[in-house]
Amino acid sequence: MTEPTVDPQPGVTVWEFAQDPNLGLRLQVLQAGEGMANWIRSPRIQKLGLALAGFTEYIHPHRVQILGGSEINYLQILKPAAKKAALDGLSGLGICCIVITRGLEPPEGLLKLSIPVLGTSFQSSVSIARITDYLEGRLAPRMTIHGVLLDVFGLGVLLLGPSGIGKSECALELVLKGHRLVSDDCVEIMRHGVDRLVGAGGPNLEHHMELRGLGIINIKELFGISATGRNKTLDFAVRLQRWEKDAEYDRLGLERSSIEFLGVSIPLIEMPVAPGRNVATLIEVAARIHLLGQQGHHPAKELLARLHPATGNN
Amino acid sequence: MIRQVIQVENRLGLHARAAAKLVRLACRFASSVHVSREGANQRIDAKSILGVLMLSAAQGTRLVLLIEGEDEAEAGQAIRRLFEERFGEEN
Repeated sequence: MTEPTVDPQPGVTVWEFAQDPNLGLRLQVLQAGEGMANWIRSPRIQKLGLALAGFTEYIHPHRVQILGGSEINYLQILKPAAKKAALDGLSGLGICCIVITRGLEPPEGLLKLSIPVLGTSFQSSVSIARITDYLEGRLAPRMTIHGVLLDVFGLGVLLLGPSGIGKSECALELVLKGHRLVSDDCVEIMRHGVDRLVGAGGPNLEHHMELRGLGIINIKELFGISATGRNKTLDFAVRLQRWEKDAEYDRLGLERSSIEFLGVSIPLIEMPVAPGRNVATLIEVAARIHLLGQQGHHPAKELLARLHPATGNN
Repeated sequence: MIRQVIQVENRLGLHARAAAKLVRLACRFASSVHVSREGANQRIDAKSILGVLMLSAAQGTRLVLLIEGEDEAEAGQAIRRLFEERFGEEN
């Protein structure tokens, strides 16, 4: 599993940023200029205060710049020449865009700088929170893999394994047991922060599933809203594989494997599939074990400690 | 492992029936066959119809195929031929 490669540096264009209703700020374009194709490449914002005061070294061109009440009030106390100098100082820094908050009037001269200026009626604090949240989601490193993502007892369980091994059938059985399907077949994995993986369905796939013999079915239509989920933090992965006589499987539950996506590891259970092994039930039990483990219980270790008190876990 | 880039040439792109043909063909081989849009960070199993449909590859889309296994050479050739013959749907 060497490929796929990580995307080239992710980005959102100012145009997309201004149009996307998911941002929730109802942005208005006050000045478009030629900069609507500029790239926003960081979820962090900056406030323009220091730059207006003349200290422009720390301006990051690919961050959204916020112009709020304090900045605008500061500009108002400046003499006209100083104000013009402050604003002119902003051009040439490569700033991708400026967002004016609280529905404030853009200061005179700002719209002439050929930097895109957007306006929102929301306060700076709300705007900054929503912009950061939106951009963190949009700019998160992501990849699409072949697998099934389920919510089992509230845990995000990623089913892996070659096609035809029975991932979808297993997922269907888990849905029938009352668990939720997030995505069958294609899972888009995003890294939030440095240590959390979130999985969601591939675009347009929604909650469709293919079952050999039946073709494509829609889990949401067949089983309702409570049988499906939109996205889920990944807690552990289960890799289904054909039972091989000579292969060695974990008999104690002491070994822990893991699998890595986008630089984050999650626990991996290698699960042999054979007639008479109800994989859905096994996965349900695996989820229960994981929940116990989160509370510090470990059945195998506890049994061994009782059998061999002197040697502890060994 | 074989890596090959194939362009979708047929007018309708990888629509349902073409996708089904690709999946059926890929399933005939023991090798694993993965496909992705060129430049995209994805790994889609060519043996699964939903994944291939999700690619929604239109005419002109360039796809990267990664084939790995004992019969990878034959699989690579057969899949290339399927694309070149435009899934048998145009004269």
